[in-house]
Amino acid sequence: MHEELLAGRVRGSTVLELRGITKRYPGVVANDAIDFEMRAGEIHAILGENGAGKTTLMKIVYGLMQPDEGEIYVGGQKVKLQSPLDAIQLGIGMVHQNRKLVNAHTVMENIILGHPNAGRVLNLKRAEEEIDELCRRYGFSVDLKASVWQLSEGEKQVVEILKALHRGAKILILDEPTSALAPPETKKLLTSVEAMADDELAIIPFITHKLPIVLSTSHRITVLRRGRVIARVDTARATEQSLAREMVGREVMFQVERPVVETGKPVLQVEKLSALSSRGFMAVKDVSFTVREGEIFGIAGVSGNGQHELAEVLAGLRKAEAGKVTLDGTEITDALPIKRWQAGLGYIPSERNEVGSIGDFTLVENVAMNYYFDDTFTHRGIMDYGSIRKLTEDLIADYGVATPNADVKGKNLSGGNLQKIILARVLNRNPRLVIANLPTQGLDVGATEFVQNKLIEAKKNKAAVLLISEDLDEIMAISDWIAPMYEGEFMAIVSADNADREQIGAMMAGLRLERQEQ
Amino acid sequence: MKIGARELKVEKRPSLSGWHAALISIAALLVALLLFSILFIVSGVDPLEAYKGIISYAFLNQFGLPLTINRFIFLLLCTNAFIIPYRAGLWNIGMTGQLYMGALAVFGVLALLGARRNGAVAVPPLVVIPILLVVAAAGGAAYAAIAGGLKGKYNINEIVITMIMNFIAFWLVSFMIKEGGAFMGRGGEGESFQLPANINAPLIAGVPFTLFVALGLALLLNFMFARTKLGFQIRAYGKSPAAARYAGINPVRLPILVFALGGIMAGLAGYHYFAAVPGVYKITGNYGYYGDLAFYGIICGLIAMGNPIASIPVALLFGGLSIGGRYIQGKLHMSFGVDYALLGVLMITLVGFQYFYNNQIVLKSNRESSKEESLDVGVHSPES
Repeated sequence: MHEELLAGRVRGSTVLELRGITKRYPGVVANDAIDFEMRAGEIHAILGENGAGKTTLMKIVYGLMQPDEGEIYVGGQKVKLQSPLDAIQLGIGMVHQNRKLVNAHTVMENIILGHPNAGRVLNLKRAEEEIDELCRRYGFSVDLKASVWQLSEGEKQVVEILKALHRGAKILILDEPTSALAPPETKKLLTSVEAMADDELAIIPFITHKLPIVLSTSHRITVLRRGRVIARVDTARATEQSLAREMVGREVMFQVERPVVETGKPVLQVEKLSALSSRGFMAVKDVSFTVREGEIFGIAGVSGNGQHELAEVLAGLRKAEAGKVTLDGTEITDALPIKRWQAGLGYIPSERNEVGSIGDFTLVENVAMNYYFDDTFTHRGIMDYGSIRKLTEDLIADYGVATPNADVKGKNLSGGNLQKIILARVLNRNPRLVIANLPTQGLDVGATEFVQNKLIEAKKNKAAVLLISEDLDEIMAISDWIAPMYEGEFMAIVSADNADREQIGAMMAGLRLERQEQ
Repeated sequence: MKIGARELKVEKRPSLSGWHAALISIAALLVALLLFSILFIVSGVDPLEAYKGIISYAFLNQFGLPLTINRFIFLLLCTNAFIIPYRAGLWNIGMTGQLYMGALAVFGVLALLGARRNGAVAVPPLVVIPILLVVAAAGGAAYAAIAGGLKGKYNINEIVITMIMNFIAFWLVSFMIKEGGAFMGRGGEGESFQLPANINAPLIAGVPFTLFVALGLALLLNFMFARTKLGFQIRAYGKSPAAARYAGINPVRLPILVFALGGIMAGLAGYHYFAAVPGVYKITGNYGYYGDLAFYGIICGLIAMGNPIASIPVALLFGGLSIGGRYIQGKLHMSFGVDYALLGVLMITLVGFQYFYNNQIVLKSNRESSKEESLDVGVHSPES
């Protein structure tokens, strides 16, 4: 109905304006009188830690949520966004961080799903031409006939972007667009984003970390903290330090120290381990490695290359098809998870909401998940909730978890605070082996730094740490050994002292060390 | 909905206290009675008279009250038979089959002791009765554990299995007491043999001792969920099987365990109705009626939201209304089954009112002052 509002936009004209947007939740002001302005052809990053109000703002702009106060102007005209449908009709598109695609359908089907022109009879040929044209113009490449489940995270994101563009989006909201991408994919995405901006599209990436990307790509930056606009700067005048300070409210060290600890005896030994994925193909192929006391072994890989399955096999949550796993000299290849916990394993799962915690449980109960089987906390089948509560309160204090008390439910904690609780309860067991699966994914700068320091602390305490991460910078920063994983295999195991960032990035994309040297 | 300068709005309820849940249930009960009065009026009956009759017969009458109590014991056991697996996220629809198996186990042991042949057993009741309780519990537990095992090991839907097993147990009972089985009464009346008189469950103040068993178990279960390691494991598995597995809870053993525990409750319900209710003391020809009644355990368990303590008043209410309803139907010569109709209406309103567990009605001022008043269901806050 308002499609024409953005039709005559010219470079630099204001396409979207928010005035005094306020949104309150019981006890919290998520957005406090936020003013924001967006011009055609601009990449305007919104930075902020978890809980700064980005998500709420994004939902308001996309019509998923209505503000309590404030006005929204599109193309200079005041609008009311009652639902995403209104937003889409106005030319606002959104790419969610959690992909909202139908896995069993093809790329093509996903893109035209729900498109107003799709109507009852599908004109596939025309749609295909239109999508091809979009790909050509912005440099996307994706197989339209492929099923979505076959795609990498990066490709899925491209599908989401194409879907928004095909529906005529002129303002594109990207939620954490680079968080799940490998370095080469990130580079490609940024090129496309720049091409879109050149085409007078307005792009709003919401980002919590990866400040270098913000600095290299965006034109302007708005920083949110605790629901307020703290800073609005031209990117040219911002630095990594200044942005981080504004986001977090204090100085942030970007270089975590990598202390050298004398390594001891091997804790985890993996020999020729293979495992199937849930889909039934070989996800881990003949992997062998050793992690010793006092070292961090980092597995770098783009999601879906078997590192998740490897972590699950080691934690006892997935069956090993072949090979042998030893923990402190005892074979645990087929041991039940409970036996592994008791033998000194501490697993920090990547799915912190679905596996690592129980949303309906209080923090006390969530902490109990790793202690209910300990004699210290359970006597003759009766749990000593008093002691567990005391432990929980100590952990909350030690780890600086932002929560009113220990009786808050897990689901009411932000991602970063939940991760702190999980980390705290696992590390407090003084595990011999820590497996940290994507421990900082989705966390903001401050929380990331905290988690990394805790892993280093565990290493100093003579634990063996297995770190799995998609963030190459993180792997490079804190690991002593680096194993790039691609399609279920380690491309190499490199000592951090001789590691070269470019080379490891290439190996994450499948290049073998030997081949490279030839 | 607008009322003058104010507006009634439905909002998400941030959290539900036990107090609110109880209030909502009482509101639902009142609405159900109100709705049901329409049926009474249509049938030319004064609803107030009818309700007075139902309540006074069910809870105050010297003939009605024992019936209510016996039915309450049965329902309470069946409700907790449902609740234990329910708290682990699993649905036990097989209380019927499990209670039959409990009853069969009881009569099996009695037959072995020669009760059918001799009409008496040589072993003293103080020894036999505890044994009967144990075998009733074991019979129900073993039968239920099959469903738990199939669920845990092969992820076969427990609802389908327990339903199927109800039919198996039903026809097994039929065979055992009517069609040539070893428990047939000596006269072949389509009933089982009679319990020897000295084996009848002892009465305490005129009430079968199973009342205290059922109440004690409800309290024990509440303690189990709140304080024990097992209770924690069950709750964790019920909220998130994936997280429970991560925490080292055995995903095969746990379903077996919760079904076995549920089966114990149902098996005891079988003992209660066929070996402890005065005037019965046998597997009656209309045993199917009690099997059907067991399904109210599901309804009561859901209304009690899986809370064993809350299940006590709920089971008492359902037991009383069904007894009182049946009585008033006869007394007022009504043409339909008042007991089941009343329970049905109550069920629908209670389930309908669970909407307010997650939502609340809020009276909002349209003026800029954003003063909000929270309304509890059915109660309008006065215009101040």
